[in-house]
Parts: sequence; C-alpha cells; structure tokens
Amino acid sequence: MHKVQQFDFFQWLAGIPDWILGIILWFWGLIKWVLLWIWGVFEWIWGLIVIPENFMFLIRSLLYPGLVFILFTLIFAVWFTRKLWARIHDRRGPTHLGKYGGLQLFADAIKLLAKETIIPVNARRWMYRILPSVLLIAVLLPFMFIPWDPYWNIVGAPGFPDLSVSLVLIFAFLTAVPVFSLLIGWTSGSKYALIGGFRAANNQFASEIPMVISSVGPAMLAGSLSLFAITQAQSAIWYVFLLPVNFVTFLIAAIASVGTFPFDAPVADSEIIFGWRTELSGVYFTMTYFAEFAEQILYSALMVALFFGGFHGLPFLPGFANFIIKFLVVFFMFIVVTSSFYRLRQDQIVRLCWKYLLPLSILNVILVMLGLAYFSDWLVPLVTGGA
Amino acid sequence: MSPDILDETSEVWFGPQHVSAHGWATKLTIVGDYVVECDPNAGYFHRSAEKCLEFRTFRQGSLILERICMVEAFISEYPYIAAVEKIAGLEVPEKAKIMRTIMMEASRIHSIQFWLGQLSGELGLFTMMLWPWVDREYFLDAFEELTGSRHTVSYNTPGGVRYDFTPEFLDKLDKAIVRLEDRIPIFEDMLQGSPTFRLRTKGVGQYSAKNGIKWGLSGPNIKACGVPMDLRKDDPDPNLAYGMIDWEVPITENKEHPGECDIYDRVVQRFKEIAVSVDIIRKLLPLVPEDGPIVDPKARAKANRLPAGEAYGRVEGTRGVTAVWLKTTEKAQTPYRAKIRGPCFNSYYSLKHIMPGLRFADFVVTFGSLDPYVGWWDR
Repeated sequence: MHKVQQFDFFQWLAGIPDWILGIILWFWGLIKWVLLWIWGVFEWIWGLIVIPENFMFLIRSLLYPGLVFILFTLIFAVWFTRKLWARIHDRRGPTHLGKYGGLQLFADAIKLLAKETIIPVNARRWMYRILPSVLLIAVLLPFMFIPWDPYWNIVGAPGFPDLSVSLVLIFAFLTAVPVFSLLIGWTSGSKYALIGGFRAANNQFASEIPMVISSVGPAMLAGSLSLFAITQAQSAIWYVFLLPVNFVTFLIAAIASVGTFPFDAPVADSEIIFGWRTELSGVYFTMTYFAEFAEQILYSALMVALFFGGFHGLPFLPGFANFIIKFLVVFFMFIVVTSSFYRLRQDQIVRLCWKYLLPLSILNVILVMLGLAYFSDWLVPLVTGGA
Repeated sequence: MSPDILDETSEVWFGPQHVSAHGWATKLTIVGDYVVECDPNAGYFHRSAEKCLEFRTFRQGSLILERICMVEAFISEYPYIAAVEKIAGLEVPEKAKIMRTIMMEASRIHSIQFWLGQLSGELGLFTMMLWPWVDREYFLDAFEELTGSRHTVSYNTPGGVRYDFTPEFLDKLDKAIVRLEDRIPIFEDMLQGSPTFRLRTKGVGQYSAKNGIKWGLSGPNIKACGVPMDLRKDDPDPNLAYGMIDWEVPITENKEHPGECDIYDRVVQRFKEIAVSVDIIRKLLPLVPEDGPIVDPKARAKANRLPAGEAYGRVEGTRGVTAVWLKTTEKAQTPYRAKIRGPCFNSYYSLKHIMPGLRFADFVVTFGSLDPYVGWWDR
C-alpha cells in the first residue's frame, strides 16, 4: 500500500535557509556576471589604451593639440582679442585681474556659468537647451584635422597623419554651424533672434562658396585634399607667395563666415540686439560665445595650414612653435580687420562675396590650372617641397 | 526696391528695451527685409520738464533745461534764459555775451563729437565710436575747469554768466581745440574715406529740402540739403556775439541729387559745423575783454520777480532750432507756462516719411544720422 508521505512541517522549516541561500547565490551569480562584464569592458578599454599608439592618441586628443589645448587657446584668444581691440580703440581693455588682465576671462566664465538661465515662454525648450552645445561641438570637431605639428597632431602621426579628405570634412562641419544659429534663433521665440538667425544663414550662404573655392588653389598645388599633405608640401615655398589673392579672398570670406565685425549683421547689437543669441543666457550664451571664438581660431589655423606653410618655418624651432607664431600673426590680422570697417548690410555682404570674391577665387583656380598645365616642370617640384 | 514679392507683414517693436533705443519705441512694419511703415512713439522718456518749470524760479529754470540735453548743456539752457532776459529787460554785459557764445560753440563741438561716436557705434565700428569720445574728454575737462561740472554746467544765468574765464581754462580749451584739429582729418578719413561707410550711407535715408522744411527739420539736418537756414545768421540774438565777427553758414550740396541729403551729407555737414564752430571760437577768443562785469549787477533782483508778459527765446542748437516760450504773470516767482520746442521731435517724427522703402538694417542708422536726443521730444 502506497504510503502517503506526511507533510513534515519541521523538515519544511529546516529547508527555508537553504532556499534563501539558493536565492542569494543566484543573485550573487547575477551580480558577479554583471561585474565581470563591466570589468571585462574596462579591461578591454585598458587593453586598447595601453597599446602605445592608442595611448598617445588619447593624450593627443585630450591634452596637447586636443581639448585642453584648444580650451586654453580659446581663453587666450578671447583675452588677446579684447586687449587688442581695446588698444586699437584707445582704451586699456582688461587690466584688473591677473597680469595684464589675463585672468579676466576665467572670471567672466565663472560669472556667466553662475548666472540664472532664463528660457523664454515661447522657446522650444528641448531644442533651446540642446542646440548651443551641438553648435560648440560642431565647431570643435574640425580641430581634429589641424596639423599643428608633424608629429603632435590629433589624428595620428607619422604613420597615418590625416584623412585623405580632411579639408572637405572641415568645410562639411563648418557648414552646419549657421544651421544651428538659425535653429537657435528660430527656437528662442523672439523676432529679433529669428531675424538674426536668418542673417547668419545669409552670411554663410554668401561666404561659403568663395571660401571653399579659395581653398581649392592650395589643394591643387599640393595635389591632395588632406590638410596635412597640403601643409607638408609647402616646405619649399608658402602658398601665400604664389596665391596672395586667394589668401585675401579666403580671409574675407572666413570673417564673413564667422560673422564678426564688418560682417556682424547676424549679431548686430545696434540693430537686432544680439541677433540669434538675444534670448540665450548663462551657460547657453557662454557656449555660443566660445563657439564664435573657436570658429575664429579654427579659420586662423586653417589659413596658416593652407597658405603659411603650417609647421614649416624657422628650422631650429619645433613645428608647433612655428605654427603658433604664424597663428598669432594671422589672428592679429583677423582682429585688425574686424576693428576697421563699418558693418555691411546683408545684401551688401552677398554682393561683396559673389560679385568680387567669387570671380577672384575662380580666376585663381584657373590660374593654378594653367600654371600646372604649362609650367609643370618647374612649378610642381617647387610646390610639392622641392622633391 | 519694391517689396511686392512678399505680402506678409510683421510688426517689430524697436524699443523701449532695445539696446540702441534708450528710452523710445518705434513700431516698424516689415515685409521681408523692407520697412513699409514706421510708427514713431514719443512718451517713453517723459519726465514732465515743462511742468517742472512751473515750480522753479526764473533763475532755477535753466537747470531743468540743461538736464534735458546734457551733451549740449551750454546751448540747451540758453533759450529759457533768453526768454527771461526778454521779459525782465536785462542788459547783458559785452564780456558775458562773448563768453556765452564761445561756450555755446564749444558745447556744439562736444555734442557733435558725441554724435559721431554714437553714429559709428550704430554703424558697427567701435573704433570710431571711441576715438571721438576720447577727444570729447578734453572739452569735458575744460568745462569742468570752468564750471566744476562735466555735463550739468549751469553756466548761463539771467543777465550774464556765472564764472569768469581763468588762464587754466583757456589752456584746456586751447588744448582741446588743437587736439580736435589734429584729429579731424583722421576722422574724415575714417568716415568719408571708408568704402564701407560710403556703402552704408550713400543714398540711404534721403529726403529733399522741401520735405525737410515741411516736416519742420532745422539745423544741420536741413543745412545738409543746401538750405542756409541758421538762426545764428538769420535772427542774431542781441545777447550773443555772433554779429561781432564774420563767418559763413556751412551748407552741403549733394551733387547727384541737388536739394536732397542722405546720411553721408549729414555727416559731412556735421564736420563743416565743427569747422565753423572752431572758426568762431578762434575769432571770438581775442575779443574777450580783460576786465568788466560778467553779469548784470541788477540781474538777481530783476529776475526774482518778472513783470507780466510773454517771450519766445530761441537759439540755433546742435540739432536745430531750440526754443522756449514763456508766459509770466505779474510779480510771480515762477512762470505761468513754459513751452519747450525741441528740435528732435520733428526729426523723430520725420522718420515716418523717410523710413518706408528702406531696409530694416538701415533704420537705426537713418535714425542716428538725424542726431536724435530723447530728452528733446519727451519733455
């Protein structure tokens, strides 16, 4: 006879600890698995980092020609601009904080970041919050391709110095900037900001084509679209001596594209308060302010790389010192130009860019083509570094 | 120029919180980038100056006037004093007449320098905004030496002036004028010589002399059209010294459009005004007598209580005809009514006719070229 097993309460009671232990062990296994997975990810990243090329890439992209360096250049550029503008204006500029007002920008940045952020009622809140950062990122990304030094540039050297189309990529990133300006103006819900946004788009519309065509000349001479290769090809002669007109058209178009003083219709403070930045405050304003200066730095560095031979120069100086000296000279030129002309109207900006800069830059491209076609036997060795 | 490709209009309020609208608001109706309608609105800066004058004695009244337009304080306080002098029948000493005139011309130069900076700031060149303002400091130093105050000078008083010229003041005035004459060619180069300036100003904000007179414009704004309309010449005040010397009324002729003026002509006209003012000061300075009273000795007693009457005191200000109409009752200590005629009210409301058809970016420049000062239209 089958004996029905009696339910033994005490046995059941004694089984509870085992059961709890089982659950805990199961959880422990889960946690261990997750921790091990995370650890594995860390190990994988670390394994990537400790490879010397990768480690150096990290150092380069974060420290020296990368983020930290760019930020300090930015801060220096703002101070340099303010001080030089002040001297041109017969003023003193920042004097109180630090030697020659050198710490003024840190104080300004702290003040701006600590300010209350006021978002207008009519603004699209999400777009309003996110666009200034996207703008700053879009301006900072092209710094990846600037050849600061034969070795110390971000993408990598000497084995894989640059992408083969970095010049095109830089312009691709920079074309996005006024789109963000327009969107910021549009989403802040103010008429002045909207007018400013459209003026920013108008500026880019006017200046983009002459600027890109002006950069075709150096690319054709060097026979490459890589910024690093263009710089490297200028070891015998800087292209500014061969293409001075191209340099001038590039400079004017670059200033128009940044939208600073003679072409500051997008942020004309006497007309439309602060253009597309009218409604920005606090940290958002700081980002757009930095983005403008970063754009100026970027264009100055581009001009050095395209026309002034980049890291070539005095042979006893390291490459980056040559680059920085020339960068300061070009940036100084930028500042002098921005403080000597009256603001142009938007239609006049378009007329200037399309009626004068565009034919001049196209003419230069044609000249370069003819030169390469008919004088190639002595021109090509000269422009590619005397090879 | 016609904006008929677009038909959707939008209204933009230019002011009163706009950075370059310091206390005024203009409603602009724009189509695309073109202004089709401009609606100036006075009243955002109203400080009841005329009512205040009814509570001030005749000797205090001019202090209200000079606060209306501080950049030309020596001129803006004068019409009230001229009216008081007419009613009281005060005789102004010869020395005070010449000193008044010199200071008014210095004030005119200072005001035009201020305006040059303002216009350049509105045109987006801060270099040219600050350069005239540096030179302006030299005149302010001279004013401070003479009166103890940079802007609210309180120099003229019924029957004469308050302070005598000192050698230190004359030194500072001379320094200011020498500096000005050094710098004027540079400024002309920066303004008229600049291609971007010509691009922004030639053919913009144009009006004819006929319209200008119809709208009540006066001073440099109408002289720029080639109309030699100047109160200093047309109605020489017996208490000022403009009749004592020879000088020419400056006018500007627009070669392309005779009888019209654009922003460029108005700037040229202001430079000519500076040259004429310097000329007048140079010619009057040797005429200042060494000794003699600077104020009518009976002025204090006479100006305390005026007889019943009414008078219209007017003067050619930096911005045009500046005038005060004064009505007094018998033996009253304060005016029964004072009415101020500011030159800028007319220039502000003339924008209603000038602006349509121009671009939105031209608005602030056109407005600035008329040399506006808010105090003059919101009394």
